[in-house]
Amino acid sequence: MANATKLRSLVTPKQMERLRDYVPFIAIGLVILLFWMISGDRFMSVRNWTFIAQQTPVLMLLAFAQLIVITTGSIDISVGSNLAFSAFVAALGMLWFGEFGLILGVFAGGLVGIANGLIISVLKIPSFVTTLAMLIIMRAVVIIVSDGTSIYITGGNISGGTNISSVSAPWLLSLGQFPAIFIIAAVVAVFMWVFYEKTAFGQQLRAVGGNEKVLRLVGTNVTLFKIKVFAAAGLMVGLAACVNLARAGAATPQAGLMIELDAIAAVALGGTPLTGGYGSVVRTIIGALTLTVVRNGLTIAGVPPSWSQVALGVLLIAAIAISLNRSKVDVVK
Amino acid sequence: MNNVDAAPPLLAVENLSKSFGGVHALRSGSFKLNRGEVVAIVGANGAGKSTLIKVIAGAHVPDGGRIVINGSEIPRTEHSVSHMREKGIEVVYQDLALVPNMTAPYNLFLGRIPKKWGIFVDQRKMRKKTREVLDTLNVTTVQDLSQPISSMSGGQQQSIAIGRAIAWGKEIVILDEPTAALGPNETAEVERIVEEVRDRHGTSFILISHNLDQVRRLADRIIVTHHGVTSREFAREEVTSDRLVRAITLGE
Repeated sequence: MANATKLRSLVTPKQMERLRDYVPFIAIGLVILLFWMISGDRFMSVRNWTFIAQQTPVLMLLAFAQLIVITTGSIDISVGSNLAFSAFVAALGMLWFGEFGLILGVFAGGLVGIANGLIISVLKIPSFVTTLAMLIIMRAVVIIVSDGTSIYITGGNISGGTNISSVSAPWLLSLGQFPAIFIIAAVVAVFMWVFYEKTAFGQQLRAVGGNEKVLRLVGTNVTLFKIKVFAAAGLMVGLAACVNLARAGAATPQAGLMIELDAIAAVALGGTPLTGGYGSVVRTIIGALTLTVVRNGLTIAGVPPSWSQVALGVLLIAAIAISLNRSKVDVVK
Repeated sequence: MNNVDAAPPLLAVENLSKSFGGVHALRSGSFKLNRGEVVAIVGANGAGKSTLIKVIAGAHVPDGGRIVINGSEIPRTEHSVSHMREKGIEVVYQDLALVPNMTAPYNLFLGRIPKKWGIFVDQRKMRKKTREVLDTLNVTTVQDLSQPISSMSGGQQQSIAIGRAIAWGKEIVILDEPTAALGPNETAEVERIVEEVRDRHGTSFILISHNLDQVRRLADRIIVTHHGVTSREFAREEVTSDRLVRAITLGE
């Protein structure tokens, strides 16, 4: 308590506010330093960072989808199931229509998003319940459609083996490898930043999260807007599904299991309140990167996977506890 | 109603009624509003003043009666918030007017965000116009336009809300308890802005307030609602606070 008062007298509230904005950056800096100290060059190697650069993009794109929805004050927990579904549609699209069939995966994600948006805004069922139902339904749909088997992306032609579905697309596999996947992620991140920070749509995300009633009073069609929001998030998930297909080399029924929680955690680690109204693309990227680095660092340090999950949970609470301005919070639900 | 002007009133409301279920929230609401005039509506809680306001704002469709703006009657089939906005009516709600996490320019342009190339927010245009409006209102205390309005004082926020009404050339501004949540200095500031806007732009105001001193300072005429009926009308000069209180509580 005495320390807190001392700290408060040392920095003005405005500086404190600014400091909070930097929490995600400070956190990742500390995390990297820590693992460097523990594991040395095994962590701080080109090879390991190449691996991290390959691991982060899918989570980052899913976190973008989540950011779009969370900024409006809603939530989308169907992104993991949607990822598996969209990847399957993308693989099937390539199987049936050739290479350009991949694009169907993006549209499939968008369709699931539109379904979410319609149920939420027309039937007025809260987003948490709606997307929870969609999470269950889409996972089941994937298992039904796939019959429990995977579709593989291969580098060459596989002869024989009629019970194995595969598509030959070496170009897609190479897109899933280090420089390409990183460049794709960077390009999407730039587009996302422009979309979120500079467009009227991006501003309206925050406005809806801030006070939806006022927007209705001034004649904004919030119902239609919310459908668009979930559609945009769905398209982003569809894109993530295609990237994941390239990286993993297969559309599997288990793809993206529980990854919706990582996506939400990445957004929260980026300092975005789940109550909506605020958010940042850059800090969401940092959040996704932090999550990946911590998981990677703990594995290298030899921490068993279950314990590293515990550590991630603790990190999440710690990061939000530090970045939250409690004097501005009046109701906690 | 003895001082009817020769010119047709900007807004004429005749025998408006509205009930919810079996409750007659508004039995008969009638009054006129002339250009550049401030008319206050006072009454006890449940006397029908906010129902009257919401009908005029378009939020409720009336069961009976007429609303005439600039000589043309509003057809009941077109009675809506957006239609009333088109007709030049803007409401500054007590606490529902602004989006707290957005900037002053964004709030001023709420529902009409100007765009560049169809998708991008035209920040420069918004800032320029916001400065102009704040200058018109003589509001000099708002410096940083990139801050969310939640970091501004209540008076500054209310001036943005009123500024929004006049920025778009609204002829009639309805103020619903504009200073109920404000301190004395901020109340004085908002009152100054109302008078400034009326004198400069000829804007008409309908003021809902429980503060009878404020009502007597600002309003040219005062309408009293009692049990859902606009029962009394006073000119500012002829009325005392005691007289108003009797009209509000006893309907006499």
